[in-house]
Amino acid sequence: MVIKRLRDGIALRINSLFGSIFRKKKVVSIGIYGPVNAGKTTLANRICIDWLGEELGKVSNIPHETREIQMKENVTIKNNGKSLTFKLIDTPGIATKIDFEDFVKHGMKKKAAKERAKEATKGVIESIKWLEKMDLVMVVLDSTKDPLDQVNITILGNLDARDTPFVIVANKCDVKRSKASRVRDAFPKYKIVGVSAKTGFNIEELYHSLLEAL
Amino acid sequence: MRKIKIKFMPYEVFRKRKLSQIFNELKDSTILLIDAKLSAQEEAKIIEETMKKVSGKFSGIELSSLEMHDGDMATHFDKIKNILLETITGKKRGMTIMGPAKIVRKIEKDPEDLLLYM
Repeated sequence: MVIKRLRDGIALRINSLFGSIFRKKKVVSIGIYGPVNAGKTTLANRICIDWLGEELGKVSNIPHETREIQMKENVTIKNNGKSLTFKLIDTPGIATKIDFEDFVKHGMKKKAAKERAKEATKGVIESIKWLEKMDLVMVVLDSTKDPLDQVNITILGNLDARDTPFVIVANKCDVKRSKASRVRDAFPKYKIVGVSAKTGFNIEELYHSLLEAL
Repeated sequence: MRKIKIKFMPYEVFRKRKLSQIFNELKDSTILLIDAKLSAQEEAKIIEETMKKVSGKFSGIELSSLEMHDGDMATHFDKIKNILLETITGKKRGMTIMGPAKIVRKIEKDPEDLLLYM
């Protein structure tokens, strides 16, 4: 009996010792979500340039430029003596409609436009599926547009329902008709940071919010 | 002239229907009015299904829901009744409108009203 207890005790100690040495630390995943053309990839690029010195993805005025999940590992942000290392995940914009004719209006050929629309639909489905993998989300909204768009409400509702922490990023604050206050009025109970991913305006405040949110 | 149908659908019926049946209605130039606010998960599911159905002929949908908040209710009794009903039936007080994007150009939230532009 005593020997058995001793043996179990030693086994437990060894397990705990090796466990702590070999146990892989969970990588924090931070996702960038939002409607189409809100500036998600511009923000991802801003973060990656600030902390890794390289961009993450291509940016375009044509909607649905990002049609696949893109990510960068080991991004470390630092603010006020705190730091956080994470995997940054840029997701395709979520939409309820994708009309290939919109791409034609941007000068694309019909065949290419149809292909882009098909890829974009897959991208939206992927974005929704990846929601459950996120530890923290930056919900990027275009502050020049109506914040009460159904896509925004659906994204926020899903994050709320999953208890996933998030920060609302009211982007495009550099644009004259931008109204970050409208975003604050629309979602008064959530943390909102007004930034310009393009110019870097108030980006330090966003880094501070990310460190606070986790 | 294109015929547009507006169909009222009780939430209980919506829940029983398969999404494929709902989309057959939407593709058939029908605007659906549901007497409840859909849950965020239901909305996400509808967006996913919409994306699977997008084609050259069907570009997707416009969707918007309005939730009745506790503050909008007149008395404390109404609020308690609402909480109990929501817990038992899973039905959120409010309304949802969805229609094919080819017909419904935009739905604007006021935020207390829904404005449908066709």
